[in-house]
Amino acid sequence: MPRPPVLLALMAALALAAPARADYPEAIRDVILPGYAAFAEAAAALDTAAQASCEAQALEPAFHTAFDAWMAVAPLRIGPAEEDGRALAILFWPDPKGLGAKAQAALLAGEPAALTPEGLAQASVAARGLLGLERLLWPAEPLPADPCPLVRATAADLARMAADLRDGWQGDTGFAQAMLSAGTEGNAEFLSGPEVRQAIFTLIHAGLEQIADQQLGRPLGSFDKPRPELAQARASGRSLSNVVLELQGLRALTESLTPDAPLTLAAFDHALGLAEALADPVFAGVATPGGRLKVEILQQAVRALRDTAAVELARELDVDLGFNAADGD
Amino acid sequence: MTSRRAFLAGLAAAAVPKPGWAAAGSPAFLAAGKRGEAHELCGLSATGGIVFRQPLPARGHAAAAHPLRAEAVAFARRPGVFALVLDCATGAVRHRMTPPEGRQFNGHGVFSADGAVLMTSEVVAEGSAGRIGLWDGATYARIGEWDSGGIGPHDMKRLADGRLIVANGGIKTDPGDRTKLNLKAMRPNLTLLSQEGAVLDREELAPEMHRNSIRHLALVGEGVAFAMQWEGDPAEPVPQLGLWTPGSAPRLCPPLEAEMFAMQGYAGSIAATQDALAITSPRGGVVMLFGLDGTPLATHRRADVCGIASAGDGFLASDGAGALLRVTVEGIAPLAQGGPQWDNHLVALGS
Repeated sequence: MPRPPVLLALMAALALAAPARADYPEAIRDVILPGYAAFAEAAAALDTAAQASCEAQALEPAFHTAFDAWMAVAPLRIGPAEEDGRALAILFWPDPKGLGAKAQAALLAGEPAALTPEGLAQASVAARGLLGLERLLWPAEPLPADPCPLVRATAADLARMAADLRDGWQGDTGFAQAMLSAGTEGNAEFLSGPEVRQAIFTLIHAGLEQIADQQLGRPLGSFDKPRPELAQARASGRSLSNVVLELQGLRALTESLTPDAPLTLAAFDHALGLAEALADPVFAGVATPGGRLKVEILQQAVRALRDTAAVELARELDVDLGFNAADGD
Repeated sequence: MTSRRAFLAGLAAAAVPKPGWAAAGSPAFLAAGKRGEAHELCGLSATGGIVFRQPLPARGHAAAAHPLRAEAVAFARRPGVFALVLDCATGAVRHRMTPPEGRQFNGHGVFSADGAVLMTSEVVAEGSAGRIGLWDGATYARIGEWDSGGIGPHDMKRLADGRLIVANGGIKTDPGDRTKLNLKAMRPNLTLLSQEGAVLDREELAPEMHRNSIRHLALVGEGVAFAMQWEGDPAEPVPQLGLWTPGSAPRLCPPLEAEMFAMQGYAGSIAATQDALAITSPRGGVVMLFGLDGTPLATHRRADVCGIASAGDGFLASDGAGALLRVTVEGIAPLAQGGPQWDNHLVALGS
């Protein structure tokens, strides 16, 4: 129904009078901090559940809740996530050389008494985290030893890292404050507000590239050699839902940063629509011509989204992809 | 550990007066950058102040500073079809160097100690076979060329006795657009050339590292530290730093496990002080510090950081946002902001 002109004028006036505030303080407050808080809460619940039982069936709901929560913040590879190898240890993927399975086998073959949360914190980042748990709960082949002590230590280690991440963003010395105080005396992390926008823009771009090249690209392999076995979190059946959750997280981050990116947000919705309609939870279809085409179409949509964001967001936020980072020599 | 001889040589190099450079503000470093759409070459003081700015017609890569005169040779980005000899005091372009037919500059050059000869890394455009171009250091006339000992040479460093170490990156590129043509078969190497250009030593990396392109060098003791760029699967953790003393095998220096992907497989620049090495990754946004024996010391974060040079007991770093930063094991702190978008390299005078 066409709206009367008076109402349109009123709406326009309201829009001018109270523009939606959106910038990095809103992104931090509305998306990043709640995202990390939710992950810390979910990881703590998974730890509690694991101490009560280490059966896959009992742990499955808490495992998925924690994994869901991580995917929403997984692209935020900055600050506390990059310290002590946390993001690597929480989700060590891709792992083409099977480093995780090897390091974990060594842990399983060792003394169970050494499998404390403190001991595990010193172990290889490849052996730990969500995929470490996945290998124990849904083993590809029978495990050589009782996995229970390692399940409990891995869950506790994960909960500790999740809490450290949440805490690392909060408080006067937290990473959120470093962003919010950009450009003030003594802030060596961010020399200006535009640097914070640039950093978040870079994360969005890199996150989309990771989805297209790794999460979709690895199982796609080549036409002659599809690699469905390389899909992320295949054993727990999460490959597609991880992509959906990550796209949703990146969309929320983008919208909180600037709602004045209609093409980018529409491209997000298009890619999300394709992903949600894809009835192929672990991309097993890449081995068939028809199934492969659907995953390729999703990959193309994510790449188109990345390219749209690179133009529209960069213009809107007055940022770029890095003078040297984008060049290379 | 630094040998006594290398230490004294370092002091001597630092103490050599460069009277000609006083006319250009006595810069300690040269760096290329971009301001708006304009490119420029700047001289920087030891503390990051800009002491001269001269326009460049296009994006630069690295520069070579004449050891005596206030002259810089600014190399274009690859595939380099020109280099300019700039009078850094007046901005006048004294010479425009063009590689011979069928050759391209590859971004780096170095003068002999007395400034009489300029050596430039070059490739034969078709096939990327490496050459070291030789130019008269006074007239900038072409006086000859050597075989670089490999494919796609990039950086090179002159040892105190005049021998030259070349990083042959191993990558064949399309002469028109830098497309990489041989990633499956690439075999980078380090080559030591005599003062006459004879190959004295040449070392390749282990077979599983054949996709780790050796690109940049810093003098350390009687040899070099080298920085690499991984052309293999980005999910494979590989070192970006190595050490080589001619006569021995090169040794790779992995970072701490938690930092194994921090550089994203890409080191853009390298520098050495008397007791530490630094490599930068603009892609990962990190500066990584190591001891001279390759022990990891620290990792500092700074978006789009690339240029790095030794500065006293620490390092000076530059980034694509126009900041110059002081880097030590303890941390990274801004010294100056608002400069041009600094390009790949900071070149220390007297190195």
